[in-house]
Amino acid sequence: MTAAGISRAAVVVLLAALIAVPLVLPMFGSSFWIDIVAEILIWSLLAASVNLLLGYVGLLSFGQALYFGVGMYGAALSVIHWGVGFWGGLAVGVVAAMVMAAIAGSVAVRLTWHYFAIITVVFSLILYFAAMSAKPLTGGDDGISFSAQSVLTLGGTKFTLADQSVQYYTILLVVAFCYALFALVVRSPLGVRFMAVRENDRRAALVGINVYLTRYTAFVLAGALAGASGALFAFFGRYASASYMFYHVSGEAVVWAIVGGAGSLLGPLFGTGLLIIFREIISAVWEHYLFAVGAITVLVVMFAPRGLAGAWSDLLDVMTRGKPPANVPPSSPSAAPGLPKRAADTTSGG
Amino acid sequence: MRDGGSDAVALSVEGLTRRFGGLVAVDNVSFELPTKRLNAIIGPNGAGKTTLFNLISGEIRADAGRVRVHGQDISGLKPHQIVRRGVSRTLQIKSVFSGLTVAENVRTAVMAHEGLASPFRPAASYRAVSVRVDDLVAQVGLTPHLNTRASALSYGDIALLEIALALANEPKLLLLDEPVCGMGPQETEQAVAKIREIAESVDVVLIEHDMEVVFAVADEIIVMAQGAILARGTPAEISSSPEVQEAYLGAPEEAD
Amino acid sequence: MSALVLALAVNGLVWGLIIALIALGLSIIFGLLDIINVAHGDFFMLGTVVVLVLTVSTGSYWLALALVPLIGFAVGLVLERLIIRPTIRQASLTIVTTFGLSMMLQEGVRATYGAQPRRMAAPIEGTIPLFGIDYDVYRIFAAAFAALCLVAFFVFLTRTKLGTWIRAVRHDPETATALGVPVTRICAITFGLGTAMALLGGAIAAPITTVEFRTGVDILPFCFMAVIIGGLGNLQGTVAAAVLLAVFEGLVTSVTDPTIARIVSLGLMSVVLLVRPHGLFSGATR
Repeated sequence: MTAAGISRAAVVVLLAALIAVPLVLPMFGSSFWIDIVAEILIWSLLAASVNLLLGYVGLLSFGQALYFGVGMYGAALSVIHWGVGFWGGLAVGVVAAMVMAAIAGSVAVRLTWHYFAIITVVFSLILYFAAMSAKPLTGGDDGISFSAQSVLTLGGTKFTLADQSVQYYTILLVVAFCYALFALVVRSPLGVRFMAVRENDRRAALVGINVYLTRYTAFVLAGALAGASGALFAFFGRYASASYMFYHVSGEAVVWAIVGGAGSLLGPLFGTGLLIIFREIISAVWEHYLFAVGAITVLVVMFAPRGLAGAWSDLLDVMTRGKPPANVPPSSPSAAPGLPKRAADTTSGG
Repeated sequence: MRDGGSDAVALSVEGLTRRFGGLVAVDNVSFELPTKRLNAIIGPNGAGKTTLFNLISGEIRADAGRVRVHGQDISGLKPHQIVRRGVSRTLQIKSVFSGLTVAENVRTAVMAHEGLASPFRPAASYRAVSVRVDDLVAQVGLTPHLNTRASALSYGDIALLEIALALANEPKLLLLDEPVCGMGPQETEQAVAKIREIAESVDVVLIEHDMEVVFAVADEIIVMAQGAILARGTPAEISSSPEVQEAYLGAPEEAD
Repeated sequence: MSALVLALAVNGLVWGLIIALIALGLSIIFGLLDIINVAHGDFFMLGTVVVLVLTVSTGSYWLALALVPLIGFAVGLVLERLIIRPTIRQASLTIVTTFGLSMMLQEGVRATYGAQPRRMAAPIEGTIPLFGIDYDVYRIFAAAFAALCLVAFFVFLTRTKLGTWIRAVRHDPETATALGVPVTRICAITFGLGTAMALLGGAIAAPITTVEFRTGVDILPFCFMAVIIGGLGNLQGTVAAAVLLAVFEGLVTSVTDPTIARIVSLGLMSVVLLVRPHGLFSGATR
């Protein structure tokens, strides 16, 4: 079997396993874990949004929590004030996050390298402080809550998120749809542009690519992913809180993306899964598990900058060629996601 | 705004000026290059050659002056817009998409030229693009390395790949910045042959330090010094000009 | 009313000078090693905790104050060797490594020192009348001492061989290497110095703030604002920006919500990043 074939088979197995979760876990009396898997799926979209920027266009954003928060509030506020229900709230959340990203991105993507990371944090901090002080609207730290929403009414039967299985499958459906779109985009001519900009922005411009527009498009799409993640999390937790807009949330998403492997489509899903499962298991016995998360982060960057996805592709090489990759060049696309080393100037295009 | 029959003029530069702080890197430079000629620009380090290329390709904004390519004014446009108007360039430090394969590199350039940016259709499904990619790779002789990652190519092959990228937009004007810099003798010979071949269908301007190469390929030479044009002529005229000898060629072994 | 405004402005000045010291540490690390140290705020936090613990165990704040920068320097050297140097080649990822380090520092302090916020008694008691209100003597001392440390640092940078080397590496590492400057060692020392300055800032600030594992989170954005608005790598600019920002936030706080002041400062920072990435105080050219 070819490497691509194995990968395709693995995706099918993964999807089957995810579909089986609510059927299998209760047999072991661990229904609690259904919600954990749902949470992993939701947060993995935030990691995917970091991955789209870092792994595919080479921009490290430390502010994706902003779009997560906007998606969260978009969903919560539209449900509370307009009664738009699950699908309406999801749409409002995603669109609101995209609008926010379109505004912030128009200036943020003029910067690259460290400057981009800083300005994304700054924007998220500004909105975080604003949301914290706009208590009447956002509820600040305490947040605002609402009831479980209905997903579908079929012949008099109402399927609502109050039912654990309905909630799980709804989340799985939306998340799978997002990943399918992501996969489509990165294989498309637009995805080709993304990777050109990641690899070499100067050469990209010199083959006729509008680098600014390409980065901007990616930024808005990443905002949509983060917004979907936030909106889903609002429906899952039935509330929205400004505390999720803090930069630590963004930082966690970056960690998940890197542990999973930036530049691979599903790597961040596994990174998110690994660290959330780790949290659930360890935090029960050791209060200070975050210390270990910090250590894991440092160790991954030091010893396995390609993350879990890198380990997987090495494994594939062994399986298909029967030997470990002899001379994988250091700058393979799934290798350490590289921002251009210090660009001559900080502004590009525009 | 075009003035007069420029069909025979490949590149026209008018009063081009660029200052960096107190230094005038390109100082009111004007020239016209005829089509179907292989032109070379030479000059000592710091003469302003690469800055001139950067101004033409739009990577640096000019303080003053205009640039026309085949009569079309490209002054003030952004690099990607200039590329779409048929001006390509290579860089002194060879610049390709090193994490991508040769085919992916060229595909990127072809798709950019075709203006393809659909977010939905798989990039591999564009038949016409694939055909063009194969053609371009064959044109520079890299077919055996089609699926090699660019970072694994030899230096000379990277230079050829860069030329393939530059040819993807079917350029009317190709600017080559020290195309053989860093190459061994055999690689240089191959590259020179390739440049000659390309110059039969595309107008080429090259910056080069290797005098042997310049005198072998160029129909006409422009000598720059201190941001201005010092002399211009055929290789024979340039090598016999006392002015040029003094300013630049100084060392006899370079003049050959 | 105006006495309150003045008091807040003076408070801002005191904090501004302390933050200038911390931000200067961040700035030299950035300028020399090209890394964004997200753990820098936690070094400040570590300084407040260590000075409190040492004061309790030795019985003297002054002895603790003298020891903290030495400990900070040592901590910086060790971390540079263990974590920074191995990952420095992936410049973009150092933000991630230092974010991991930040988690480890916060959680490490929480695990050992505890999560309970504490207050520390001021080592100098008493107040003096200032613009009509009684002002803590220690705060005046803190400001003066921070200012003294800033001056000492600039003297060190311009008048000593090591300082000259640091400036040389900042300016052009390749030439510095060619001239025989031990660049690797200078990088390590700079990281140690930057860390020491953050811990020292913490030690000075400990008696006028709460001591807990989370204080670095609040300090970090402020330090970054000072570094960015002052101009990345522009050390004098960093100091000026830290003082101006703190006084500004102090004054705005006297009329409105402190959050508004923070939002305005952050807005200013974004504008500076976009329009004058080399800082408010840089000349017209680079």
